[in-house]
Amino acid sequence: MIKALKKAWLASVMTAGLVLPGAAMADTATAPSVIKIGTLYASTGNFAIASKGQYEGLEYWAKEVNADGGVFVKAFNKKIPVKIVAYDDQSSTSTATTLYNQLITQDHVDLLVADFGSVLTSVAVPLAAEHKMLLIDPTGSGANFFTQKTNYLADVSIPSSTVWPLPLAHFLLDQHIKRVAVIYDSNDFDASQAETLKETLVKGGVTPVYYHGVPTGETNYNVLLHTIAARRPEALIEFGYPPNDIAFLRTLSSSGLHFNMTFTIFPGQLMKMMEKTVGAKAMAYTYTYPTPPLVATTDTTYGPDTATFVKDYTAAKNEAPNFLNVAGFNTGLIMQDMLGQAPQFTQLSFHQALMDMSGKTKTLEGEFKINENGAQLGELFSVAQLIPSGDTNKIVVVYPEDKATGKPVYPAPKQ
Amino acid sequence: MALLEYAIIGGILYGIFFSLVAIGLNLIFGVMRIINLAHGQFVMLGGFGAYLVTSSLGLNPIFGVPLAVLGGIAIGYPLYYGVVPRLQRSRDPEMLSFILFFGVAQMIEAVMTLLFGVDERSLPGEALGSGNFGVLGQQFPDSWWVAVAVSLLCIGGLWLYFSRTRLGYATRAIIANREEALATGINVNRVSAIAFIIGLSLAGIAGVFVPYLVGSISPSDGSDLTTTSFAIIIIGSLGNPLGTVVGGLVFGVGTMLMQTFYPSWSNLVPYVLLVLIVLVRPSGLLGKAVRNA
Amino acid sequence: MRKSIPSLRGPAIVLAVLAFVFLMAPEFYTNHSVLLTMMTFMGLAQGLNLLYGFTGYLPFGYVGFFGTGAYATSLLVTFTGLPILVCVLGGGLAAALIALILGPLLRLSGAYFSIANLAASQIIYFIVANEDLKSITGGPYGIKIEQVYAPHASYLTMLALLLVVTALAAYFRLSRFGLGLKAMNQDPVSAAFAGVNVVRERLIVWLVSAAMAGMIGGTYAWDLSVFYPSAVFTLQISVFAIVFALFGGVGTVIGPLLGAAVLYMLYDGIGVSAPQYFELIYGALIVGLVLFLPNGLMSLLTRRRINVL
Repeated sequence: MIKALKKAWLASVMTAGLVLPGAAMADTATAPSVIKIGTLYASTGNFAIASKGQYEGLEYWAKEVNADGGVFVKAFNKKIPVKIVAYDDQSSTSTATTLYNQLITQDHVDLLVADFGSVLTSVAVPLAAEHKMLLIDPTGSGANFFTQKTNYLADVSIPSSTVWPLPLAHFLLDQHIKRVAVIYDSNDFDASQAETLKETLVKGGVTPVYYHGVPTGETNYNVLLHTIAARRPEALIEFGYPPNDIAFLRTLSSSGLHFNMTFTIFPGQLMKMMEKTVGAKAMAYTYTYPTPPLVATTDTTYGPDTATFVKDYTAAKNEAPNFLNVAGFNTGLIMQDMLGQAPQFTQLSFHQALMDMSGKTKTLEGEFKINENGAQLGELFSVAQLIPSGDTNKIVVVYPEDKATGKPVYPAPKQ
Repeated sequence: MALLEYAIIGGILYGIFFSLVAIGLNLIFGVMRIINLAHGQFVMLGGFGAYLVTSSLGLNPIFGVPLAVLGGIAIGYPLYYGVVPRLQRSRDPEMLSFILFFGVAQMIEAVMTLLFGVDERSLPGEALGSGNFGVLGQQFPDSWWVAVAVSLLCIGGLWLYFSRTRLGYATRAIIANREEALATGINVNRVSAIAFIIGLSLAGIAGVFVPYLVGSISPSDGSDLTTTSFAIIIIGSLGNPLGTVVGGLVFGVGTMLMQTFYPSWSNLVPYVLLVLIVLVRPSGLLGKAVRNA
Repeated sequence: MRKSIPSLRGPAIVLAVLAFVFLMAPEFYTNHSVLLTMMTFMGLAQGLNLLYGFTGYLPFGYVGFFGTGAYATSLLVTFTGLPILVCVLGGGLAAALIALILGPLLRLSGAYFSIANLAASQIIYFIVANEDLKSITGGPYGIKIEQVYAPHASYLTMLALLLVVTALAAYFRLSRFGLGLKAMNQDPVSAAFAGVNVVRERLIVWLVSAAMAGMIGGTYAWDLSVFYPSAVFTLQISVFAIVFALFGGVGTVIGPLLGAAVLYMLYDGIGVSAPQYFELIYGALIVGLVLFLPNGLMSLLTRRRINVL
């Protein structure tokens, strides 16, 4: 009964003409004058640092293609300029919900790009599916988005976070590190990494001596660090967002505590910025995931290789790109490739184009490979260590061996 | 065992500091019977004062302390005469002040967010000493000890003010019985204004050290600081400024024990204590019954 | 003074206007979440008005009931699979149950009640959002009930709730029950002498007000279908409900609706892109209201002896 009623309601939604941008567009044979790309960014709050980076990368891409006359759209067989419609969600999911809705129902954007990270992406997933829009998801990698087959979600610029820590886990096992402590932020992004790490370690015979989640806003690590130190771990792994990593590294350096190995996520993505706030000394010997441009891809099949991108971006913005700039730019590239291949200007055709590109495309971020659930399974991250070099640190890839550029310094010397 | 000692000693230090955070709220309530719901925002302002002192003037954050006193005067004086006498003439000063200062709190938070954004700010880690100082083998950052020393100085100073000065004497008379104080010719308005300024200044001084003890400060931290302060003064005793210290210690040790042994539940401590105390013993651990209905 | 027949005309008009406006609005304005959130806040302001306007208790932790309702509804959907409207009703019941447990708070007066209620709402929030309860509530990772997502249906349900809570306010305003409440707010001792069961009636209003917030929260959750605990427990929800109600004028039927509609539109206009300017404006509004217009916009009319609902 209720089901039938719901069906009726849904049907009435359709007939009442609630807007379905993808479907509506399909009927229009005439090409639009611009391709509207809707996205959100966070100017403040927990995700601001990362979100702004991603947004700048996407903006840079748009500027570049527009300077070239726009993107080639196969459906209309011509180049059309792109226009980014963006709102500030201030890192709040409820604001983001209203704004994603705004992009879909009021601005009628042609392509919908999520904000940075799993938290701000999560609210867009059901909205996009409801309005039959393909959600281009640059960095929302939380495992629980990708549990079922969908035409309306594609993670384009980072691997699904469940696979991130695999090399890290193998590195720990290889080094025969038996006492591992894991502290993670309670959100999809960090918790799914913590879970994979723990699972892989346990399979290798190592049970973490400490395994605990803290709130995503946590900046007070004093007591936690003492509690962890009491378990005498050799390696301490912290999974957080940039503000957490910063607070964690600062507190660690002032606490007088020392661990043989410390790992955090974001030095490998935002090294310059973190050295400025935390101090290069407090970061020395920390392990991290190295990301482009810190590691380079040379044999790309689409778009510039890493070195060319770094050169062009630096010339244009007077500032070297970080990983999130790369991720934003890469999102643009993937959409560009997609528009150039999709025979029809519809959301389903876009999605099919992405599926066709999967496994055959290599951009500056490496291999583009998504599955039918929308998860990105492209190249795994390696493990690197920050080694002091003058006033700063340089990044040395230490695992896996075929990618290594140096040997790990283990145990880390006491500062 | 070492962890237990760490938690208890840490809790005592933390508690002494949080007595300073809360004491201004209690002073203002005791003297004026109004509720400064913007208290936490004034603490937050003190933190940002210290942030400015270090980031734009390049000075040691400790100079945030005199800045907090200046700020307390500059904001407290006009604010007192602008709203407090008017509130006290109204039909329900307690409730109306509660709502009014809530509005003030929102305004402060909005202005600070416009100026600084909602990002968390911290102060230079080594400015108050980069080492550790141990008691009974338990190490705490130097900044904690500085914060505790300043807290003890402020609370001691307040005690001296109450017990050794004429104004302090008059203040106590007003706390004890406002009508009688009026009748004996005390200039209640002036004494109250001074107490109001002292209350705000103490909040600001505490704010200077919040980034060190809590990790960081952001414009939206005010309301949490207000509720925590409320819990502390209710645990201690409403209207009895020095009773705040008892509340602070209960809160500090409770929080540290929870953070050490059940960290994911530690943020419940002040709220659970508040609700329990209010229901079981509304007059606080030290207080005499004050409730009328 | 008020005969029963003509007094029903006012409420009927208000309800008809509300229903008409929100049934027609989607035809002209398609951002569904804006319209739904507007009804949410109108409903919350009205629900808060039931308590504050008629008993003088200002529930700073009103969001606690809203969040409880949102979670109870979602958990019922997840674990029982009952029809969604039953789950929403369950959300209301859960909120009322929490209100019953918190009943002793009503012994406190004025500000103590408000602050203790605020603390209570934070306790509920921290428990729901606790990582240790991940397997039940989803903890900080939020909860998903996409399987029931049906924006049109949740929209109509929210409208129905708004009409119910408004009808309740009209009943309070016009009935003996409501007049008794007002009397005991102004003078509990004489009201007790006059045969009003002060404790029981307060408790009833408290439970009704909580249940309404719970059902509104449940419907809101249904409409979001994917949300984090912070989205339904943020103090901002209490704050908005209070400010909106105070602005329009508590103790009336139209006041909170008007206050919420006007201020939410203002919020939607400037607040979404620049929430701090909006926060500054409503902070100043509160200060101004307490000092100059403690009974809200509606008192501009009542002062001139214009009778409003």
